[in-house]
Amino acid sequence: MAEANTTTVTLHVHRFTPRAERAENARGGSPFARKSSPFGGGASASARRRPRGRQWVQEYTIPARPEDTVLDCLLTIKRTLDPTLAFRYSCGHGMCGSDAVAINGTPTLLCTAAIRDWAKQPGTLPQVDDEGFRHVGNGDDENTSVEGAQAADAKTQSLGVIELAPLPGFPPQRDLIADIDPMLDQIRKLTPYLQADGVLATTAEGKVDAFEYLQHPEQLAKYETLSNCIACGVCEGSCPVFAGGDAFIGPAALVWASRFINDSRDSKAMERMDAIDTADGVAACQSVRACSRHCPRGIDVGEEMWQIVAKVRER
Amino acid sequence: MRQERTLFGGCARIEPMSPKRLEDMYDAVIVGAGAAGLSAALGLLRSPAIAELTEQGVSPKILVVSKLQPLRSHTGSAEGGIAASLGNIENDDWHWHYYDTIKGGDWLVDQDAAKLLAEYAPETVINLERQGVAFSRTEDGHIAQRRFGGHTRDFGGEPVKRAAYAADRIGHQILHTLWQQCVAQGVEFAEEWYVTDLVLSEDGERAAGIVALDTHTGKLHAIHARNVLIATGGAGRLFHTTSNSWDLTGDGMALALSAGLQLEDIEFVQFHPTGLAHTGILLSEAARAEGGILRNADGEAFMERYAPEHKDLAARDVVSRSIMAEIDAGRGVADPKDPDGPKDCVWLDMTGIDSDRMKQALPQVVETIEQYANLDPAKDPVPIKPTAHYTMGGIPITTDGEVYRWCDGASHVVEGLFAAGECSCVSVHGANRLGGNSLLDACLFGTRAGRALAARIAAAPVASPMNDDADDEPLAAAVDRTASMRQDDFTSMLQGALESSADAEASPVSDGNAYQLMAKLGSIMEQALAVRCSADTIRTALYQLDTAIKPAAETLHAHDKTATFNQEITAIWEVRHLIELAESVLKASDAREESRGSMRRLDFPQRDDERFLAHSMVARNGAVAFKPVTITDYPPQSREY
Repeated sequence: MAEANTTTVTLHVHRFTPRAERAENARGGSPFARKSSPFGGGASASARRRPRGRQWVQEYTIPARPEDTVLDCLLTIKRTLDPTLAFRYSCGHGMCGSDAVAINGTPTLLCTAAIRDWAKQPGTLPQVDDEGFRHVGNGDDENTSVEGAQAADAKTQSLGVIELAPLPGFPPQRDLIADIDPMLDQIRKLTPYLQADGVLATTAEGKVDAFEYLQHPEQLAKYETLSNCIACGVCEGSCPVFAGGDAFIGPAALVWASRFINDSRDSKAMERMDAIDTADGVAACQSVRACSRHCPRGIDVGEEMWQIVAKVRER
Repeated sequence: MRQERTLFGGCARIEPMSPKRLEDMYDAVIVGAGAAGLSAALGLLRSPAIAELTEQGVSPKILVVSKLQPLRSHTGSAEGGIAASLGNIENDDWHWHYYDTIKGGDWLVDQDAAKLLAEYAPETVINLERQGVAFSRTEDGHIAQRRFGGHTRDFGGEPVKRAAYAADRIGHQILHTLWQQCVAQGVEFAEEWYVTDLVLSEDGERAAGIVALDTHTGKLHAIHARNVLIATGGAGRLFHTTSNSWDLTGDGMALALSAGLQLEDIEFVQFHPTGLAHTGILLSEAARAEGGILRNADGEAFMERYAPEHKDLAARDVVSRSIMAEIDAGRGVADPKDPDGPKDCVWLDMTGIDSDRMKQALPQVVETIEQYANLDPAKDPVPIKPTAHYTMGGIPITTDGEVYRWCDGASHVVEGLFAAGECSCVSVHGANRLGGNSLLDACLFGTRAGRALAARIAAAPVASPMNDDADDEPLAAAVDRTASMRQDDFTSMLQGALESSADAEASPVSDGNAYQLMAKLGSIMEQALAVRCSADTIRTALYQLDTAIKPAAETLHAHDKTATFNQEITAIWEVRHLIELAESVLKASDAREESRGSMRRLDFPQRDDERFLAHSMVARNGAVAFKPVTITDYPPQSREY
């Protein structure tokens, strides 16, 4: 594949290597110094929030085609240039949810981002135009990026530059790997499992006629899209409240709560709504709707937030 | 359940998804957190034996170790359906499912296991629904079902709608539901821990535990356990073109080989006929079930010639071989992305499917085609080629999930060692798996293994006040010894980073790396075994393995010395696992001098029941023994579609 390419792309990757533990241990010569704080994990907890280590931006230029994904490019880098670059990836086609990062500052998945949509020519960086607007020429503005790419083709053969950084709103752990456990913890706090009444459906004569819970297609439609969430964290990294560091249970946990609230089989809708009717729950959502923009499962997260907020208020 | 400590201000403390402290001894360690591993954990915890134990105040010590965060498991990529004779759409009978499974597996199926699979399939699917799976529904609210290749009525008659589905995301639904139920049960996970060793007692007769690297901290751990269950999934990454995720590196199978165990029927690898050209990404069989048609360069719907009755929905190996035959006959097409490239694809024509129906029933298929091929399936033909999809063989297990050795013509169970899911072989898939049977296998036999584990735990729980841990000492010592050897291996690989950075001549390219080597291995295996093989192709691959791949693997080392999140270290172990497995697959393929199911030997084109109606059992040294097939109800017939 690589040999046939006549075009290249340049990646600017924000890298981070945490300080080796050996160095931290070396600080304390006394065995007493290694004991954890009597007030409970203070030192290690703050270390997790503000990881120490070496940070730098590394530039890689590799052969690539416009239709290749950013994940394809990173895998090429691992094979041919730098096997030490760390990033999560698994299924490679947008189903597992492991490879959310910030591409040109925007949270999205590595494996669904095509070079043609994200590579920018140097000099097309945000400029203020005569009317005072700032044109960022992102993936939504297809003409700009394609023209730019073709113009470059003739001269430099470069498709442009892409900037990669770990998912915002979560502590970076190494290179593009961020600690998304806070999101999973928030999801887990809201009893994210079906709590049905256990009653079997019966016929008019009172006989059991199905062992599954019956659910009609229109009842399924109320939560089916929500149930497709893959917990990748893109919506959370896009949310200025969540990623900004304010107390907020976050759009992902609310999508999961809403999934069960809207499931006709679940019997705990009231309790679930009580659980999110808090200052750090639905009340913290500012309806910015940035969460909708790059959901890889096509969930209109902002609209769903709006719906669940309304539902909680109406109850 | 994980303790949640609330700090002042109501902000909950954030715990890493790792055990705070390892137990000295576990009742059970489950390796892998896909459908099989999670089903086993749930089957274990919900069993009456464990409920009774818990009532007595003894809680079982269980740990699920997984190299991925559980929600990332490859189960989530399964699209089409899970088979069960629910009869929600049309009349169905589990005996028909039973027969289809045997026939689909070309009679290399153990019929006692297949009988359980078919008989308990409806219960399994209904239990999944009652746990929360968002199945698609019929108008009257029942679980919807669709056609799937090889599933018929009346013992091989007309196709029947047997695959229960959730649009084309059944795997995602099942994986998430099982994880949610594990959250409800308070299952403890060690996430992103990579298992490097499966340890048995010195005499090899008992499970003793595992050694695992916590990839977050970069620390190796000896984990002592009286019972171990392996549920690590398949090995699609043996091949260059695969629908499998990057993580399916056959770890559990290789761990078993290294521990001195055998693999059963490992030469049978299913190539799914419809991988999206040059990505290997799967386009679900549902695309053909909904009316998609395969066409060659002349536009001919060629499956009519190869399988007049079932056409595009014949068994997967039949379709894959037909596609290869068309390509070999010069009727293949080039990927439109690479029009001057090799004509090694055929068209999948979905233009006859009603576009509303396509969006409703096949959203994932449509999205994949749009995203990765830049085509509109409602208007454009889609280039496809066979892609490595499923390993029928694996670690040999009984129908209760117990791992056994085959020696001197008898099975010998390894005490306390279990396996489930794609890494195992209970032999319900035989020489070729039917669509819809893999999730069923993982959930059903995973649950059964969990229950069998529960019975063992209840008999002698670690936390019991009556516990006599004298027996544990030699087990713990065996694990600790292995962990210490693994620590040396780990340290020397990190040390290699220091040496190579000191050597200005060496670069990550010139001195090789695991990612490069994995790609090389994938090409060799694809040339040797994909869809067809012969003694010559096998010999060539074994030679390349010995002369190029193995020597390169021995010298692999990391290029960075930081142990935390050092993915290169894990990748080195993964490629070593793949190499170990590749050799066994080649040796087992070589020993089977016949064509059966997914295996097409160009030099032995016929099925040979006289010699090979038997399971291969291959060991690490390449020795292959054969074990008779259990045939109870349906004697072998010819397999025609």
